Amino acid sequence: MENFEPKIVAFLCNWCAYAGADLAGVSRLQHPSFMRTVRVMCSGRVDPIFIIQALKNGCDGALVAG
Amino acid sequence: MAGIGKDRLHLAWLSSAEAQRFVEISSQVMKSIGEQGPFDANRFAMELNAAEATLNSETVRWLVGKEVKLLNRGDVYGRKWEKAKFEAILDNVLEREYHKHLIRQAIIEGHTSVRAIRDRIGLELKWISYLLADMEKTSMVEFKGHEHHVPVFGAL
Repeated sequence: MENFEPKIVAFLCNWCAYAGADLAGVSRLQHPSFMRTVRVMCSGRVDPIFIIQALKNGCDGALVAG
Repeated sequence: MAGIGKDRLHLAWLSSAEAQRFVEISSQVMKSIGEQGPFDANRFAMELNAAEATLNSETVRWLVGKEVKLLNRGDVYGRKWEKAKFEAILDNVLEREYHKHLIRQAIIEGHTSVRAIRDRIGLELKWISYLLADMEKTSMVEFKGHEHHVPVFGAL
């Protein structure tokens, strides 16, 4: 499992986590970058079905941040 | 419940000013998923389909949608529900619906008798028969007749 690059889908709230991620980019903090981000207007918008579908379609994990 | 791996889902709360925290969280998630290795969706196809159908089911959607109303304003009889009671009922409904959809997926896969379903999904025979009777009423499955004295079901 040396070169395993996990596919992770991240549902980020526009007002909290997405802005936080943006700031992390602006302030040039080093962080792993193979996350696939989906910006949502509220983390309450994330339906559990999204997670199931992400897993079904080949993601290895999911992060919901708000 | 589905055994798909709840450690693959991470939840986190942070504010827009916490860039450092975001970096910490994303590194943590990467590390955790990296350690768990790749997810094999084909191995869990039946569980994933059943979980998706459960989340889409009318009963679950209805119950989740009515939570605030049942807790704050009461049901049609004006009874306010305790949060613990609501959660117990929701857990119950989720388990039952998930088992029903698991049975349906097993039938779709070609395990059409009660024993074959049991061997595929590992629930008790009595519980499977009970749920099958329920599923017949709601047109999720149909009774197709007997094969060598064994009742056979089909998915609708």
